Amino acid sequence: MSHSVLIVEDDKWLAEQYERVLSKAGIKTTVTAHALAAIHALDEIHQDAIILDILLTGNTAFTLMHELQSYGDTGNIPIIICTNLASDLNIEDFEPYGVKRILDKTKMVPDDIVIAIKSVLL
Amino acid sequence: MSATKGEHKRLLNGPLTDGLPSIVAAAHELKSPLALIRQLSLMLEDDSSSKEEQRRMLRQISLTSESALRLTNDLTRSVKLTDAMFSLEPINPQQLCEDIVHELTPLFSEHGRHVRFAPRKKQLLLVANRDLLRRIIMNFSENALHYSECENPVEIKIGLLNSGKTVRLGVRDFGPALASDALNAIGGRLASAPTTIYARPQSSGLGLYIASQFADVMNGKIGVTRHHDGSTFYVDLQASRQMSLL
Repeated sequence: MSHSVLIVEDDKWLAEQYERVLSKAGIKTTVTAHALAAIHALDEIHQDAIILDILLTGNTAFTLMHELQSYGDTGNIPIIICTNLASDLNIEDFEPYGVKRILDKTKMVPDDIVIAIKSVLL
Repeated sequence: MSATKGEHKRLLNGPLTDGLPSIVAAAHELKSPLALIRQLSLMLEDDSSSKEEQRRMLRQISLTSESALRLTNDLTRSVKLTDAMFSLEPINPQQLCEDIVHELTPLFSEHGRHVRFAPRKKQLLLVANRDLLRRIIMNFSENALHYSECENPVEIKIGLLNSGKTVRLGVRDFGPALASDALNAIGGRLASAPTTIYARPQSSGLGLYIASQFADVMNGKIGVTRHHDGSTFYVDLQASRQMSLL
């Protein structure tokens, strides 16, 4: 069965790059540019995982993660954070929000995102 | 010549009082384009992409590099502003805005977006340095591209204020609403250091900080007007007395 992943990233071309890599791995994707659109997307289609940028336009990722934790169905969706701020973040601080991995945009290679998704889904 | 310990600290952390933008803010602003270029380059090493995909990625690398280079050029210029080497002259802003739209159209098109200029019937002249003014409007326009959320085109406008004494060049975007104190932030804190703009956290405010420095050199000022569905970032400059001859 094909998995579905929600990409929340306001850099359109970077989101496109994630889509490109994930689709080659047979993973379906939905892209939203900000937190509110992500909530709407989650209302429409169940997602198996979320790839989340921290510095979003409008509400930040923290607002979105709080919102997701408020509901039983969304609170269990594993989150992978992809950010330029990875070196400033501690995974233990984010685990209560369902964050399973933190990827550093400045160091990751394209396949890292596939490996991270597979590690939380399989 | 080496910098003293105190000078290093000021350069790294800001706020700065000598017109030099913070190195931290510059590094932050350049991280995103460099990370994207790296991702796309690594992807291109993998031969499995179609020719069309490869062409698109190469185009994105090229346009992203150009944006990052514009920022580094602006940074260099902002440091040299103290040299007072920028002469002011009467400029037709209409022609300048049309040139900017022409230059930015490929970047906007690649994002599936539009930028346009709303021309005035009556020609205007203002007093400015052509290069610095161009860089301010380019900066506002690139910000608008990044933060606009809907399909409405980004629009560059020219207006006349203060009984014709001031010319305002504005860039209308459709991004998230700014906080009510955003104007104070731009008018106050930006005068001495880059300032993050509420609801637009990915930006360190470095571009606006540089724009405010450029405007200052031209005896102008930058500001922002809030709308229910976005903002207009603008620069106010002195109208040219030669305008009465037009």
